[in-house]
Amino acid sequence: MILIGEELNVMSKKIGQGIKDREAGPIRECVAVQVKNKIDYLDLNVGPVKKDPVGTMEWLIQTVQEITDTPLCLDTTNVAAMEAGLKICRKKPILNSASGSTESRQTMMPLAGKYSCSLVLSVINDTGLPSDADERAASIMDSVAYANELGIANEDIWVDPVMMPVSVDQRQIGAYMEFLQMLPDIVPGAKSLCGLSNLSFGVPNELRGLLNRTFLVMIDRLGQHSAIVSGYDEELSRLVKGDMPEIVKLIHQTMDAEDIDVSSLSEKERQYVKTAEVLMGRSLFSSSWLEV
Amino acid sequence: MALKGADILKKLPKTNCKECGFPTCFAFAMKIATGGAKVEDCPHISPESKAELEAELSPPIKLVTIGAGANALVVGEEEVMFRHEKTFFHEPGIAILISDKEAEEEIDRKLKKISGFDFERIGQKLKVNLLALSYDSGEKAKYEALVRKAVETTEMAFVLICCDTDVLFSAAALCAARKPLVYPIGKENLSAAIPRLKELKVPAGVYGKGLDEVIEVASALRNAGIEEMVLDSGPKNMLEGVRDNTLIRRSALKKGFRPLGYPTITFPCFMYKDKLKESLAAAAFMTKYAGIIVLSQPDEHFLLPLLVYRFNIYSDPRRPMTVEEKVYEVSNPDENSPILITTNYALDFFIVSGAIEEAGLPAYLCIKNTEGLGVLASWTSGKFNGEAIAAFFAKYSVEKKVKHRKLIIPGVAKKLKDELEEDLPGWEIVLGPNEASDIPKFLSEEWKQ
Amino acid sequence: MSFEPPLEKYSVKIREVAWGHGEKTVRTGGENALPFHYFEGSLPNLAVLALEIVDIEPENWAPELIEQYQDVVSSPAKWAKKCVDFCGANAVCLRLLSTDPLGRNASPQEAAATAKTVADSIDAPLIVWGTGDEEKDTQVLTEVARVCAGENLLLGPVLKQNYEQIAKAAKDHGHGIVAQASMDANLTKELNIALCKFFPGDKIVVDPTSSALGYGLEFTFSIIERIKQFGLADRDNMMLMPILADVGVESWRAKEAKLNRDQGILWEAVTGLSFLLAGANILILRHPDSLRVIKEMITEC
Repeated sequence: MILIGEELNVMSKKIGQGIKDREAGPIRECVAVQVKNKIDYLDLNVGPVKKDPVGTMEWLIQTVQEITDTPLCLDTTNVAAMEAGLKICRKKPILNSASGSTESRQTMMPLAGKYSCSLVLSVINDTGLPSDADERAASIMDSVAYANELGIANEDIWVDPVMMPVSVDQRQIGAYMEFLQMLPDIVPGAKSLCGLSNLSFGVPNELRGLLNRTFLVMIDRLGQHSAIVSGYDEELSRLVKGDMPEIVKLIHQTMDAEDIDVSSLSEKERQYVKTAEVLMGRSLFSSSWLEV
Repeated sequence: MALKGADILKKLPKTNCKECGFPTCFAFAMKIATGGAKVEDCPHISPESKAELEAELSPPIKLVTIGAGANALVVGEEEVMFRHEKTFFHEPGIAILISDKEAEEEIDRKLKKISGFDFERIGQKLKVNLLALSYDSGEKAKYEALVRKAVETTEMAFVLICCDTDVLFSAAALCAARKPLVYPIGKENLSAAIPRLKELKVPAGVYGKGLDEVIEVASALRNAGIEEMVLDSGPKNMLEGVRDNTLIRRSALKKGFRPLGYPTITFPCFMYKDKLKESLAAAAFMTKYAGIIVLSQPDEHFLLPLLVYRFNIYSDPRRPMTVEEKVYEVSNPDENSPILITTNYALDFFIVSGAIEEAGLPAYLCIKNTEGLGVLASWTSGKFNGEAIAAFFAKYSVEKKVKHRKLIIPGVAKKLKDELEEDLPGWEIVLGPNEASDIPKFLSEEWKQ
Repeated sequence: MSFEPPLEKYSVKIREVAWGHGEKTVRTGGENALPFHYFEGSLPNLAVLALEIVDIEPENWAPELIEQYQDVVSSPAKWAKKCVDFCGANAVCLRLLSTDPLGRNASPQEAAATAKTVADSIDAPLIVWGTGDEEKDTQVLTEVARVCAGENLLLGPVLKQNYEQIAKAAKDHGHGIVAQASMDANLTKELNIALCKFFPGDKIVVDPTSSALGYGLEFTFSIIERIKQFGLADRDNMMLMPILADVGVESWRAKEAKLNRDQGILWEAVTGLSFLLAGANILILRHPDSLRVIKEMITEC
């Protein structure tokens, strides 16, 4: 599983301030922690920055590349900033993201062809977010066909099925997993990417990590190639890098609806099992899912 | 029972030959499932599998068109029992009854009124779809005169309600180009009706006393090659109608039972004399699967709630409902009244405007088009940030409406405050409450002017 | 070729909540089928139709409504009595608007005394409703619970922010509660889980928060249908509580309702019937004609 660390985000207070003041300290600290947690890519999210988006992107990339070789994932809706960033990345970067919408096809997607980077392609199109697995499939097939025409090969496309918060529409979790498993047949050779933290949006902070980690293990099993995750979560990294095989096994067993003797489990193990149960859609989600 | 890609795949050759234009049979199957490809695009599928697939792929509930042109009513092709499973697709048609026994002036008045209805809500037109023309006089000439008049003075589509088969079809012949629904077609007049239905190519309104009889009649029509029909099982009240409509919908969707795979027609006009009860029954049938609902008279006070109700139930839960972008005036504000701003997501609009009204304080409510996204989501995507709001202020001349320079923004949009202080120079940006329900308290305590 | 109607059977039923006391006891819920599906299951308890009264001079009520009650609006007890004896309400909902901190800010003691008087004067069960102000409602409803001990009221709205104290008082004095979560099935479940840790599950009614026709009705409609599905079809124990819809106050707020008598009654009755069809077990209405017409139609054979 390729992990993309999300902590370099203009919306975070510390990083946002650092970017605004062009203060490298907080940036460097953030990079160091993520790299220590074996993050494979660093996501640079300058999202809705209004003042000088191009300059901001350039400064951020330079600052990061001064202290690490870790490849970058450029995260912005501003086309000029994206292009400026793609130009100066040392290693092959990821363009995060384009969609099937007309505007994106015309402005963002062509950049991937021009700069030979990897392209995150979401299932969103002109009608918005598809509501189930089949609709996602139809949408992505069209977008990928268009990308192919621009000279972008499937192997460079990282499909984003768009992660919805479990507290907003639990059915979308099942749709995500169903769609993920279709990918090799509908867009052979393409990879996948997940914006994992969206899953737990709206859930009390102390419980978010557990939800994110459990789901990551589940989609890893189903063939997920990469995910944008919290780069500060050491346990998450350990889980998918093979350091916690017993927990991973329990989650798989829960997915398969195998009988598990919960009384013999530790508290931590029990929590992972309960979380996997609710993510499999076997009961209605509520923020008290661990207490039931 | 809409077929899924995985089910379609079972009938394909699974050779991944790519001759259909897709990389794998699975991809092709997925496209067929969502309507982006046809079974016949596969050059290697066996004729039996092709026939089977095409039969299975035809929608479980037939699409039926009544009328022609811009005023045609299209119903059917529904996929779910509950709107939250996906959405309801085709709004049921509302038909209003005119009897040939009524006085000429009354007929003229009704025709004019019904075809002149012009209801609107949140920028959408709410239509009365059909005229239900009923044969009660016993005189063929009178009925034909009514039909002719309706053809000449309106553009609407018709339901012809006539128990004399001969009169029914000669009236239908007078307006065949407008594809009227002919009703009733039942056990007694099946053999007479079938050739006329085929000749005129008009949809059939099936009547059966109970589901078994409906199945009998519908099956006979299907076997005779009649494709478009709507079903009436003759329920005598609201609860029976709910039951029958539910069982018909279930049979079609969950059992793939073709003789019941058609939209239904319901007659609250014949069930109840009391207009309130008739309207409630109509609302119940709208909720529970009816394709056409026939009402007794064109009183707008009884119609408006039904039109709005139909609009609500048939809205697509997957798409955020939005309201028009503009500066709403709540309770007659003046130049000293507070100004609040939020997004055009309909639910937020209703809650916020409701809360302001409850506070009893006149105010201006600025609604910015964010395509239905809420406050935080639209700020992130640039639709509800400082720039966008400044543009809104310019477009709607907000500065001219009030003497003061205070703008109240949703409490959750803290980051917006700084941006707006830059983009709206001269304005004091006040953070409102996080919850709309706290607006009354906030306005009465914090708003001192 | 005999057609077998496709019937659906559920293996669980909605919890049955008994409220009111003695001869005034009413049972709500208990069904093992979808609304009005008498043809495939058992629905032992008809929906309870309650009329709303307030304990102050009604403000901003449609003229049509005032006309119905003008002879009794100055006395909650008389008003309640008229609702039951004359207007055919199965229950009364007393909304304690006098306690609004932004209005008269009446004391919990005053409010509780009113509630007791009203409870004593009617031969029907009573719902007592606060103003939605979390802190004030806590004081008011706990006092009402104490003073009306034994009446087996339904007390609401009980929220995530104040459920502990109100539910405890309800439990101590033998009342049921209406747990309110704003249009969110997940929050409804969460609140029920928290309550069921110490409060009897068969004395909880849920209120997903109502919106009127034209003003968000479809959101409430679908939440109610979904709650019913989670309970009956998915057998989620925490979603098997009966459902209440507070229809009158929302419907009559609409400007359309105030324009014309029939339109106003229909605005309310269509909203109410819609929620019954979705799965509501209790409706709070305002106009006696809405109540009458709904009642007659749901009791037809």
